[in-house]
Amino acid sequence: MDQTAAANVQPATSAKRRRFAPYRKNWSGYLFLVPAAALFVLFLWVPIIKGVVYSFYDIDFVNGNTYVGFDNYKTVFNDSEVGVSVKNTLYYMALCLLIGFWVPILFAIAISEIRRFQGIFRVAAYLPNVIPVVVLYGLWRWIYDPVGPINAFLGKLGADQILFMTDTRWSMVSLVIMETWQQFGSGMLIYLAAVLSIPKDWYEAAEIDGAGIWARVRHITLPSIKGLIVLMLIMQLIATSQGYQSQLAMLDGGPLNATLTYGLKIVKYAFTRLDYGVASAMGVLMFLVLGGLAVVQFRMQNRGGN
Amino acid sequence: MVMLAIMSLVILFMVFTMLYPIGVTFMNSLKTVVEVNSFPPKFLPQGLEWQNFEEGWHYMDIPMFMKNTLIIFGGNVLVTVFVLGLAAFTLSKLNLPHRKLIYFFFLMTLFIPPSTYIVPNFVNLKDLGLLNSFWAFWLPAGASAFNMLLLKSFFDDINDEIFEASRIDGASNWYGFTRIALPLSIPIIATLSIFIFSAAWNDWFWPSLVMHGDPKYPLATAIYKKVIQATGLKQNIKFAILAMVSLPPIVVFLVFQKFILRGLHLGGVKG
Repeated sequence: MDQTAAANVQPATSAKRRRFAPYRKNWSGYLFLVPAAALFVLFLWVPIIKGVVYSFYDIDFVNGNTYVGFDNYKTVFNDSEVGVSVKNTLYYMALCLLIGFWVPILFAIAISEIRRFQGIFRVAAYLPNVIPVVVLYGLWRWIYDPVGPINAFLGKLGADQILFMTDTRWSMVSLVIMETWQQFGSGMLIYLAAVLSIPKDWYEAAEIDGAGIWARVRHITLPSIKGLIVLMLIMQLIATSQGYQSQLAMLDGGPLNATLTYGLKIVKYAFTRLDYGVASAMGVLMFLVLGGLAVVQFRMQNRGGN
Repeated sequence: MVMLAIMSLVILFMVFTMLYPIGVTFMNSLKTVVEVNSFPPKFLPQGLEWQNFEEGWHYMDIPMFMKNTLIIFGGNVLVTVFVLGLAAFTLSKLNLPHRKLIYFFFLMTLFIPPSTYIVPNFVNLKDLGLLNSFWAFWLPAGASAFNMLLLKSFFDDINDEIFEASRIDGASNWYGFTRIALPLSIPIIATLSIFIFSAAWNDWFWPSLVMHGDPKYPLATAIYKKVIQATGLKQNIKFAILAMVSLPPIVVFLVFQKFILRGLHLGGVKG
C-alpha cells in the first residue's frame, strides 16, 4: 500500500523537479540579480510610478496627501508661464542645433583631414569637459560681463556693447554658446573615431580620381557617418529638451523668463513653490512626449550596433 | 591647399577658444582686485598675487568638500562594480532561463528620461529616510541601465570557455565573477570610473537638494552655494578658488590623457 502510493507520487515530483530544475540549478545566478533588481525597483520603478500617482494628489509632507483628480493638470494648462517655458524649450533646442550641433562634426573632419597634431587637438577639445561646470558658470559670467573681455574687444572694434546676460534677445544664445564650448569635445571624439575608421583606400582612390577635400568630405566622409549623425541628433534633442541646469545656475530663468525652460519650470514648481503634485504632473506630460523619442533612439542604436 | 589652410585656421581658432577661458581663470586668480575689475581687462597679471590662494583656501574648507565628493565617487564605483557588475555578469555568462526578459526589465528604464521623474525621485528619497545621507547617492548608483549595458557588452566579449573550464573544475559562479570576470574587466571599470567621477565631480544641483548643509555638500555644490552665488566675495579670490578646484582634474587629465581618451572611446556613444 505504502509502496504504490510512493510509486504514484514519484512521477509527479520528478516532473515537477524537472520543470524547476533549470531554476534550481541556477539559484546562485538568480541570487546575483537580486541586489540590482531591488535597486532598480526602489530607485527607478517606484519613483516613476509614484510620479504618475502624485500627479493626481496634493502632496503635503505634514498633513498627508489628498486626492485632487485632474486639478494638477488643470493648473499646468492654466499657467501661462508653462506655455512660455514650452516655447523657450523649443527655442533652446533649435539654438542648440543651429549653434552647437554641427561644431563637433566640423572639427572632427578638420582634425582628420589635417592628420598632424591630432593628439594635441583632441586634448585641447576635451579639456573643458574636465573642468567642473560650476567653475564654468563663474568664469563665463565674467567673460560675458558688460566690462568683460568680449565687450572690451567689441569696444575696440567700435561696435556697441552687448549685454549677454541681461538682454532678453541674447541671454539664451549666450547660454548655448557656453554649453557648446563646454560639451563639443566629447561629441567630437565620437565623430573623430567614426571618421578615422573609414577605410583609407577610399580616400586614396578619390584622390587619384582628382577629388578635392570638399568632394571627399561630401561623398565619402559625410555619407559614412550619416547614421551616427542622426543618432547624435536624436540624443541631443532628448538631452536639450530636458535642459535646465545652466539656465538655473546662470540666470535663474530670467531676464523676464527668457531662459525659463520646461525642465526649469518643473524644478521651480517643486523646489520653490513646494508644489510636488503639479511638478509631477508636468513630469508625466513631458514623459508622454519624450518617451516616443527615446524609443526611436533605442531602435536606431540597436540597428547601428549590430 | 586653400581648403587645408582654412581648416588649419579653424582648428587654431578652436584651440585658442578652448585654452583662453581656462587661461583667464588662472591669470585672474593672480591679479589684484583693482586689476581684475579694470576695463578693458588685460590677460596677464601685473604682479603675482599668490596670497589670493591663501585667502581662498581659508574662505572655505575645500578639503572637506573634496572628501565628500570622493566619498560619493568611491561608493558609487563600488556599488556599480558589485551590484551592476554581478547582474551584468549573470545575464551575460550564466545560462539563466528567461534572461532576455530579465535584461529587458533592466533596460526598459533607459526609455524614461530622468528629468520626468526628478520630483518623485526626490520625494521617494525623503520617504525612504535617505535625505542628507550618502546612501542617497550610493544606492541609486546601482540603478543605472546605461552602466549595466556597458558592463554586459564588455562581458559578452569575454570568451565563455574560461568560465566553463572553471566550472568543470568545480568553481562556483561567485568565484567566476570575482576571480575571473572582474580582473579581466579592469578596462571597462576604468572607463566607468571616469564617467562616475565626472558625474560626481560636476553634479551640483541634485546634491544641493538631497544634502542639507555644509558638512555633507560635495565640492561642486559648495562652490555653487559659496562662490558662484556669493555677492560679497572679491573677484580675484573667486577666481583663485575656481583655479584651485580646476587644477587637480586638469593635471590628472593631462597626465593620463592617453588612457582616459582611450577609455572614453571604449564607452562608445555617450553624450
